Amino acid sequence: MNTQIFEWLQNTPLATNISENWFPWVESAHVLFMALVFGTILIVDTRLLGWTSAQHRVTYLADRMLPWTWGAFIGSVITGFLMFAAGATNYIQNTPFLVKMGLLVLAGVNMLFFQLVTYRTVARWDAGRPPPAARMGGLASMLLWIGVIGFARWTGFV
Amino acid sequence: MNLQAFSEWLSATAFSQKIQVTSWAIPGIQTIHLLAIAGLFAAALVVALRIGGRGLASEPLAALARRYIRAIWWLLLVLFLSGSLLIVAEPGRTITNQVFYLKMIMVALSVVITIWLASVSRRELERPSPVHVFAAAFTMVLWTGVIFAGRFIAYVESY
Repeated sequence: MNTQIFEWLQNTPLATNISENWFPWVESAHVLFMALVFGTILIVDTRLLGWTSAQHRVTYLADRMLPWTWGAFIGSVITGFLMFAAGATNYIQNTPFLVKMGLLVLAGVNMLFFQLVTYRTVARWDAGRPPPAARMGGLASMLLWIGVIGFARWTGFV
Repeated sequence: MNLQAFSEWLSATAFSQKIQVTSWAIPGIQTIHLLAIAGLFAAALVVALRIGGRGLASEPLAALARRYIRAIWWLLLVLFLSGSLLIVAEPGRTITNQVFYLKMIMVALSVVITIWLASVSRRELERPSPVHVFAAAFTMVLWTGVIFAGRFIAYVESY
């Protein structure tokens, strides 16, 4: 693989400054954002699965929770990119990191499919028990995010 | 026996050794610890927002607090158990580390405030006072501090 761009990234003043001084702060902020992403999406996923929050309409819960998920996701991407820059040449050879990124893509595909297909009929099941497709979407989301977090933690041990 | 000696003894026990030589054990336990703090942080946020009249405001405070504060207690149990395993596995990293104690103080303070907010919520206050809103916001500051301190344990030298 051509690694020049990763070497360049890792040697930028910003990246060296992070790896020398700020890595623990950026990493802690990344964990904080991750907690918000996973925690808030879990509230929606467990509602889709019919496990919790039956007193709330799916759309109401999603409208109240997902802005937090998205805001924190943006924070995760920024802090994640800064961490990546600090050690780019290592991360691109780190198998758990690559698996984490693959799972993240799958979580995105799952969410897109849910938004564009499953969610279109939400009016029919908004107040009740979601259909199998929505339950599957919630379960997949939950499991994929657990995988993302597990492989992310493992990344630091390689 | 001082903490140093206790830490060395604990680290030498068969159970601690077993965790230390199992390569996936520490990242695995840390992942459970992370998933639980994520759930707790979001549950605490939902409670804090509701006390501030935001978030899931259509649900009465008493009912919402009962659901979400119960989740907080169960997740704290998971955090306590997984955290205990992490201490047993690497006592030299934690019980001789000042950041670990800072983290525990913040956890204790946040738990006390949450117990108080739970009792306030049971009284069906439809308009919580600014003191309650401030206390709820303060728990979020404390949980944020807990997350930062948890990560900094890995970076601050134990004595």
